[in-house]
Amino acid sequence: MDLEFIISLIVQIVMIGVIAVALMTAFAAMVMVERKLLGRFTLRYGPNRVGKYGSLQIIADMFKLFFKEEVIPGHVERTVYLMAPGLALVPALMAFAVVPIAGAPFTLPFQIMGTPITINPWIANVNVGVLYILAIGSLGTYGVILGGWSSNNKYSLLGGLRTSAQMLSYELPMGLAMLSAILIVGSMQLTNIVEFQASYLGGFFWLILVQPVAFIVFYICALAEAGRSPFDLPETENELIAGFSTEYGGMKFGLFFAAEYVHMIVVSFIMATVFLGGWSGPFAQQAPFLGIGYLLIKVAFILFTMIWVRASIPRVRFDKLMKFCWKFLLPVSIANAAATALVLAVLFF
Amino acid sequence: MTIEAPPPSDNGVEVPAELKQNVFFGKLDDLYNWGRAYSLWPLTMGLACCAIEMIATGTARYDQDRFGAALFRATPRQADFMIVSGTVTKKMLPQIIRIFNQMAEPKYVISMGACANGGGPFKEGYNVVSGIDKFIPVDVYVPGCPPTPQALLNGIIKLQEKIQGQSIKTVPWYRPEERTEPVPMPILGPDLIDPRQVSLIKDTLEKARQPEEAEGDENGEAPRPKRVVKPPKLPTWDITPTDEATALADSINQALQADQAVVPEANTLIVAPEHLVAFGRHVRDDLGYELLSNVTGVDYLGREGDRFEVVYHAYNVRQPEKPALVFKARAAEDKPELPSLYGVWKTCYLQEREIYDLYGINFTDHPNMKRVLLWDGFHGHPLRKDYEEAYYEDPVKPFPSRWPGGDHARAETRNPFGKNVIYPQDWDIDQWTPDEVEHNLDHVIEARDIKEGVDFDTDRIVLNLGPHHPSTHGVFRMVVAMEGETIVDLEPVFGYLHRNHEKIGERNSWIMNMPFTDRLDYLNSMQNNLAYALTVEKLAGLAVPERAEYIRVIMCELTRVFSHMSLVGFLASDLGCMFTPLFYAFEGRERVVDLFEEASGSRMMCNYMRFGGVTYDISDDWLKRAETVTNTLERGLEELHTLITGNEIVLSRTKDIGYLSPEDLLSHGVTGPMLRAAGIKYDIRRVDPYSIYDRFDFDVPTLPDSDIFCRFYQRILEARESIKILRQAYKGIKDTEPGDIMGGKKGYIFRPPAGEAYVRTEHSKGELGFYVVSNKSDSPWRYRVRSPSFINLNALADMCKGGKVADTIVTLGAIDIVLGEVDR
Ligand code: SF4
Repeated sequence: MDLEFIISLIVQIVMIGVIAVALMTAFAAMVMVERKLLGRFTLRYGPNRVGKYGSLQIIADMFKLFFKEEVIPGHVERTVYLMAPGLALVPALMAFAVVPIAGAPFTLPFQIMGTPITINPWIANVNVGVLYILAIGSLGTYGVILGGWSSNNKYSLLGGLRTSAQMLSYELPMGLAMLSAILIVGSMQLTNIVEFQASYLGGFFWLILVQPVAFIVFYICALAEAGRSPFDLPETENELIAGFSTEYGGMKFGLFFAAEYVHMIVVSFIMATVFLGGWSGPFAQQAPFLGIGYLLIKVAFILFTMIWVRASIPRVRFDKLMKFCWKFLLPVSIANAAATALVLAVLFF
Repeated sequence: MTIEAPPPSDNGVEVPAELKQNVFFGKLDDLYNWGRAYSLWPLTMGLACCAIEMIATGTARYDQDRFGAALFRATPRQADFMIVSGTVTKKMLPQIIRIFNQMAEPKYVISMGACANGGGPFKEGYNVVSGIDKFIPVDVYVPGCPPTPQALLNGIIKLQEKIQGQSIKTVPWYRPEERTEPVPMPILGPDLIDPRQVSLIKDTLEKARQPEEAEGDENGEAPRPKRVVKPPKLPTWDITPTDEATALADSINQALQADQAVVPEANTLIVAPEHLVAFGRHVRDDLGYELLSNVTGVDYLGREGDRFEVVYHAYNVRQPEKPALVFKARAAEDKPELPSLYGVWKTCYLQEREIYDLYGINFTDHPNMKRVLLWDGFHGHPLRKDYEEAYYEDPVKPFPSRWPGGDHARAETRNPFGKNVIYPQDWDIDQWTPDEVEHNLDHVIEARDIKEGVDFDTDRIVLNLGPHHPSTHGVFRMVVAMEGETIVDLEPVFGYLHRNHEKIGERNSWIMNMPFTDRLDYLNSMQNNLAYALTVEKLAGLAVPERAEYIRVIMCELTRVFSHMSLVGFLASDLGCMFTPLFYAFEGRERVVDLFEEASGSRMMCNYMRFGGVTYDISDDWLKRAETVTNTLERGLEELHTLITGNEIVLSRTKDIGYLSPEDLLSHGVTGPMLRAAGIKYDIRRVDPYSIYDRFDFDVPTLPDSDIFCRFYQRILEARESIKILRQAYKGIKDTEPGDIMGGKKGYIFRPPAGEAYVRTEHSKGELGFYVVSNKSDSPWRYRVRSPSFINLNALADMCKGGKVADTIVTLGAIDIVLGEVDR
């Protein structure tokens, strides 16, 4: 093995660590922002006792959860019960691997053993990136389903069942929405998708402009995939107590909690990358750090709308949700993909 | 143990080894306590009236979330502390303890309100636990009835202080040997059984069975002389039949082709039990009395002839000008039995069960003749006049222990168990086994044949929603059987907040009941006050001055607007709307309760009206502010309307859900906005005007579809009409004489003449009526609340069948129940 490979391997591992930590921090920030914003939406202040503006609230929460007694109810399926929270969190983190966060590799200002170190703005530039995302996305569902099933509680079970049905259904329109985008770009690699958007119209040829329908479908599916309101049926506090996580407390619940938010963040990154031009923006090619900024702004905007939606819209009923998916969303996305293909065919052949 | 002083260190820098550890722990403690103190996740658990103030604590003005203490968790596994907010009943206690045991350490308990602290106003009730701390350890007590939100916030801050005083070294929950055992679950037997007291119970009963010794006790003191209790006077009044009653009785007798089936008495009819069902059919089908609004029992203990009486009040809804039909049936003491009218009016399903529960009158042919408010296995029928609860002292108040010169030993101090429990003397606890099946109730549903209409074979699961559930609006329970997510059957279970309102009411003096009515529908204390005041005024023939009438109307309509707004808010959160609409609605409430606080002295429990008027006058300044508040409310209402009514998801969740035909609604005894949302224009303020409602110009809106959407939208329409009334009342009250707020003559003792009276009012939830019987003494002989929430729930099962779980929650929400009134 040559030195270069080993170094790049080490760099890669460090990168993975950094990204994972960054995502977990983003989760913490996200919870905080959400609580503050929900406070504002309901005419309140939200947490403001710990840290400036309550900024340390989530740290207090995590401390508390960490020190909480780990109850394992006697009636659960032990192994699966303990595994489920991890199964929910890890895939959510993994999906981030293919997202390019900037336009060009960064070169570190120093060398190790004479080798210059460049860091790619992605962890893996898979050429079937979109497929990877879809595949990993459905893995996360297992955590929730298994958690619901192993708890041996009727509420959890119902929550788990709902999740499986919901997530499986929403994969389809989500995939089709992506397909419409892929058809235009001609590649499944996320880097290509972003570069494509960056190279026309002065970097503003965002796919949302040509594929608004696909974007909306994707947005809706993203809410459903992440179990966010109005599709938060796996939890449905008003009906199923806490849905699949009814029997989970302490840190185990903390992991589920984190998984939901990480999922939501990652999905927003993907959405921003595929439809909103990712890192692209003025001078992003020249100064890659600028690209990160652009991406973060876009993601923050998407996340804000998700919180906004949560504060204002009631929940859809479970069977209506399924009907909506199969009878409306799926036909629409199929039609959209077909129309795209047709237009492309007419234009280019 | 002696504590040795640490050896003096010479330079003062070196830290001894064990102290080092303390320093380390000191730092860790800071962090540990900081995290726990500022991250307190409460358990979503509202028990009674106090829960409303608990919700208010979370809303904009108080914002519990500032302290990091408002991430309400519905599951005990994730919660850190439990706010026992309100009255703990014996029926509810096992669930509370189970939830407490399920919470993970470290866990804390805040006992909120007089009831949770020690029984509060309902202390002597036969179904009330006099203080939650008799069973689970309490960390912070918050006094008040209800405590204001500020008080609860203070309680939370106190809890944080307590947590900050703890040390990771000494807290018991990390040491397996010091861990506290789970609290043993109390058992519901003839009364509540604390498993820790089984042997005490056995001994006490054993002793009680011994013949009493006439000698003094071991201290040589002479035994207390037995007090001679004078039985209360039996109510009697003039029963010469009125002409109308005689004419009606004759025509009905003719129709039934029996001579003595119906006998007139005063303005009522006495129906012979064997003709009761035929009579019911006749008056419903031929005379049009479709709505049987009130069914209640009365115990005339000591009367010659039949001891029990069941009184029925029926109305003709389509021809509201026809007078009320009041008929009675009587049952003997040795065989209290009457035919059930369930086949004629479905409303009897619950109302007859209630009579069975409280009076022990058996209704033959009733489909499910079981107790409804208490649990099966409870000993005795509490509303019988000879029933004595654990803290019984005298038939009526004031009890001798509270009376100057009386016996100062209160019944509670004499109770051997230290709680308000009492067991039948001949009960043998060793032979007795708890009835497990009764408790899980699956059998109720299993027993019914509900296979029809299901097109493929799936496993049915029986799911318990409640009594501790975030969306049952308190401690209400529904047992549902589901195929997939479709509801095939539903059985409501009541009584988790049965606070023995009526029993306590019959021991209270007339005026003492006024503050108790506040606690019926605790969102609507003013309307409850009014209904009770009107009833007693009718009995006593009191006139109310003009100004007081206006004040009453203003108070009641303000309440109505708020009540409807909060329904919209609650319904929206039942639909899964976060809390945004609810918090917006509570903004309006804050303003209204501010006005109430100023006028009456209390935010929620106003206790504002009196027989013949109101307690305090209102000032011009108050009126001016009330006008502003009305404008704000109107804006708030329209805002909610624009936010919610047109929303696609709301429409898809509410349209065509929970349908029930107007005929069925009437048969179930449903009244109020639900009935009007089914197209029946029936508003008691119009058809049977009380107070001065006939002076105001307002419409009675109706909607045609009888689904959830109509029920929800109906509330908005009605709130608008109330605002119209308010504006007229603000104008009208200007022409009245300030200060003239009490009619009748002043006096210390109030004794209405003997007789009976039933007055119904249009409450925000439906027809609220009070039925009282007076024996011309200080206390009512019979005090009955016809509570709209309870009776409207009759229709719940029929509305929910065939829907989804989510629909059940919304259907329940749209009925608009308040548990204080459902279970009383
Ligand atoms: S009566 Fe109601 S308000 Fe008063 S303490 Fe009890 S629950 Fe709270």
